[in-house]
Amino acid sequence: MTRRAAGRAGDSAGDTASQASVSALQDALAAEEAASYGYGIVGSHLTGFPRQFGAASADCVAHEQAKDSLVGLLTARGAAPRPAAVAYRLPVKVSTAAQAVALAIILERQVESAYLGLVAVPDLALRAFGAEQMQAAAVRYTRWSGHSQAFPGLPQSSAR
Amino acid sequence: MSADHSRRALLVAAASGCLVAGCKGIAALGPLPKLTADVVTLDHAIADEELMVARYRAALTALRGNRKAAAVATSLLAEHSRHLAALRSRLILPPRLATASPRPSSSPPPLPSGVASVIADLSAAEQAAATRLLGQLKHAPGPLAQLMASIGASEAGHVALLAQARLT
Repeated sequence: MTRRAAGRAGDSAGDTASQASVSALQDALAAEEAASYGYGIVGSHLTGFPRQFGAASADCVAHEQAKDSLVGLLTARGAAPRPAAVAYRLPVKVSTAAQAVALAIILERQVESAYLGLVAVPDLALRAFGAEQMQAAAVRYTRWSGHSQAFPGLPQSSAR
Repeated sequence: MSADHSRRALLVAAASGCLVAGCKGIAALGPLPKLTADVVTLDHAIADEELMVARYRAALTALRGNRKAAAVATSLLAEHSRHLAALRSRLILPPRLATASPRPSSSPPPLPSGVASVIADLSAAEQAAATRLLGQLKHAPGPLAQLMASIGASEAGHVALLAQARLT
């Protein structure tokens, strides 16, 4: 968004690296926005289940916090956070508690893969942040699904 | 940077000393070239996974009497074996170097007795491994960092699954 005017030739590697950082941060932010929205739907179908409702509320807060961190990381780099969508098309139909849990599981998988770009950027602080968020998402995935994953976030084809 | 490029980089970084000296025969090799940080990082990640696999194999024997705990340990062992295979596939070392890098010990400490203690021991090992991988990302090229971050996330998920196994 706020790219500096073309700098000296020596800056181009740094510019490329910071563009990669901003682009990876925007991808992660989009997934966190979608997860925050999605968990609102998840929670609304779990009101009759106090333990699960509590988990959905806690996870929603975690996604809101991650979103705030990503916004801070973007603005610190002079980039404007991409605005959230007004509404999202849900990946599954949700009208029961079981479907709400299924949605939470899908949201966490989407968040895991959305951080994959961030863990490969040259900025090591961003890598660490992305990897921590991947771990947090994998924990939430397991709590909702009762299953573990061998390669959270990686596309099926690359995970052997 | 493509995955292929990065894999080649690991190979070349490790092998350049041998390739240069190769035509003169083994006596001309001289001291081993120093391994680059990314090769050492990958090698340590492999050693850590080997240790985890050994730890789970030992745990399976200890958990034989508890069908549910044994089933959880079996599925987690399978995932660690996949981690190990994926990491090994990224490391291509000439034979002489393959045995030359310093490695942590690869036999796990003895397991405590009792199902709950064994699960707690596995859980602590998984958490330690996930945390250690966070610190090692800085030495890895991008695609390897992605694999290591994914494995760390898998291990964090294992901690959550073991916690559920402990509760039920």
